[in-house]
Amino acid sequence: MSDTNVIDFLGGFSQFTGIYGFMNSMWGWPVIESLHFIGLCLLLGTVGVFDLRMLGLAKQIPYQYLHKLVPFGVAGYLINVTTGIMFLTTAPDQYVYNPAFQTKMLFMLLAGINMLSFYGFCNQYVQNAGTNPLPTRIKLVAGISLIAWSAIIVCGRLITYFRPPYHWCLWC
Amino acid sequence: MALVVGINVAVSLRLLTTNSPTTLPGFDKLYPLHWLGACFIFISGVALLLAYPAKALTNPVFYLKVASLVTALIIAFKIQMRLQRSSSDTRYSLSTKTLAAFALVLWIVTIFTGRFLAYTNSVLLASRFY
Repeated sequence: MSDTNVIDFLGGFSQFTGIYGFMNSMWGWPVIESLHFIGLCLLLGTVGVFDLRMLGLAKQIPYQYLHKLVPFGVAGYLINVTTGIMFLTTAPDQYVYNPAFQTKMLFMLLAGINMLSFYGFCNQYVQNAGTNPLPTRIKLVAGISLIAWSAIIVCGRLITYFRPPYHWCLWC
Repeated sequence: MALVVGINVAVSLRLLTTNSPTTLPGFDKLYPLHWLGACFIFISGVALLLAYPAKALTNPVFYLKVASLVTALIIAFKIQMRLQRSSSDTRYSLSTKTLAAFALVLWIVTIFTGRFLAYTNSVLLASRFY
C-alpha cells in the first residue's frame, strides 16, 4: 500500500464515519483535544504514579493500592486511542509524514511492549511485594514506562510544530 | 500539567473508590512532586502570558481557566492537609469525598478552558488598540 493509498484510506474512513464532519465543526477539534488530554491525565495519574511508586517514591503506599487504579488508566488509554484516530483520519497528511508523530508511535510501541513485559514477568511479584523495595529489573520496566509516556507527551505537543515543508520520513 | 492533574486524579480516585475505613498510607508523600509540577505550570504560564498578554487578558476563557486552576490547587492543598492529619483508623468523611469529586470536575474544566484558549481569542497583539 503506497503513502497516497494510506492517506486516501484514512481520509475515506473519516468521511464515511462522519468523523471528518464533526472534527471540522466549530468546536469539534478543541473538544476532542481536551478529551485527549483528559485521557492522558488519567493514564499518567494512574500508570505514571504507579511507575513512580515502583521506582521508590512514597514508600508507604502498598503497590496493590495503586495497581487498583490501573483500570482508570486503561480507560484513559482507550479515550486517547479513540480521539487519536479521530485526529489522524481527519488530517492524515499532517500526521503520516510528521516526524514527531512517527516518533510518538515508536514510543507508544515501546510502552506497549514494556507493558506486556510487566504483566508477563513482573506483575505477580509486585502484587505480593507489599511495600518492600523492588528488584532492579522491575524498576527498569517502571523507568522505561515513565520515559516512554513522557516522550509520548513531548512528541504529541511537537506534532503541531512539524508542518510542511518540515515533514520528513524514511520512506518519503 | 499532566503531572499535577495526574497526581490529583490518583488521590481523588483512591478517595472516591475506597469504601473501607482504610487510610491512604503514603499518598501525601506524592504531594512534593505535585507542587513541583505546579511550579512548572506557574513558570510556563507566566512565560506564555508575557509572550502574548493581550491574547490572554482579553479572553474571558482565560479568567475561567485561572479561577478553576487556583480553586483546584486550593482543594489539592486541603486534601493534602487532611491526608497528613489522618491516622490509621480514619474514615474519610463525605466532605472529603465531595472535595475529591469537585477537584476532578475542576481539573476537567481547567483542561477544557486551557485548550479552548487557543480557539477563542479575538485579539493577538495589544498593538491592535493603538
